[in-house]
Amino acid sequence: MKLNLYEDKELANEHVDIYYSKMRPTVKQLIDTVNSERPSLAGRPADEDLDDGEEIILDPKEIYYLDHIDRKLFAYTRTGVYRLMTTLASCEEQLWNYGFVRVSKSNLVNIYKIKQLKPDLNMKVYASFDNGERICINRSYKKSFTEYLQRMRRLSE
Amino acid sequence: MKQYLKETLVELCCAYTIISVVGAITNIFYGSETNNANVLMMFTFCTIAVFVLSMHKILMRFSPLVMMLIQFVVSLGLCCAVVFVLSFIEPVTPRGWFEFIRSFVIIYALGGGFYYYRVFRDAKEQDKLIKEIQKHQESSEE
Repeated sequence: MKLNLYEDKELANEHVDIYYSKMRPTVKQLIDTVNSERPSLAGRPADEDLDDGEEIILDPKEIYYLDHIDRKLFAYTRTGVYRLMTTLASCEEQLWNYGFVRVSKSNLVNIYKIKQLKPDLNMKVYASFDNGERICINRSYKKSFTEYLQRMRRLSE
Repeated sequence: MKQYLKETLVELCCAYTIISVVGAITNIFYGSETNNANVLMMFTFCTIAVFVLSMHKILMRFSPLVMMLIQFVVSLGLCCAVVFVLSFIEPVTPRGWFEFIRSFVIIYALGGGFYYYRVFRDAKEQDKLIKEIQKHQESSEE
């Protein structure tokens, strides 16, 4: 995508014009940013106490997957694991446009980070990430997962 | 529950129709004939198999392979129980037992093989979709 920036010291009303051929997820993400609606997930490193750890703003693009364990929500990135103080359902609603899709009762995965999708010999399908981790795609979510992929492909064309 | 019964009955109708048609074609091909007792037995086995297979939701915590094996054992056990009870009315020879189990295993193995193929094919299609989406995303970011 081509980006043009124009500096005008006299300009009283700053604005952004977006020219697009199709409302793709990338365009929607830009709109979110301009409208200050870009989801930012605040998390603390999982290995520190909640009160001690410094809160870090996570970019959704950096997150591989979200895992809900023992009523706690964790975000996995290349560099570490962060505890989020939100719910999996709200993340699902907030991040669907950023490639996040529910694959089991407790997992949301970022499809842009999936390296390979492959079934095991026991027929369980796993999504592998480039950090070596794997998440099982639960078969009861298979239909909605496929529908999400088809919708994202249509939007991204 | 009502929805579950409705869906299961539709599956039973479809399964029994397919089995009946395949049975009829086989009979024409080999010049053999069936009788009323066989038809009723086939319907009973079909009902057992459809209801056992439709219970897959309660076996979600197991892998599909384990689920298939559990369903195989349960449905075969129930069908054997039906044959055993009926054997008091009309005796079943050892050859009859062998034929019954062989028929059951062949159909189940074919169904299992088809399911196995579908799992791999669907995963491959999903993987292809993911690669396409990632490619489009990369090109739109450039």
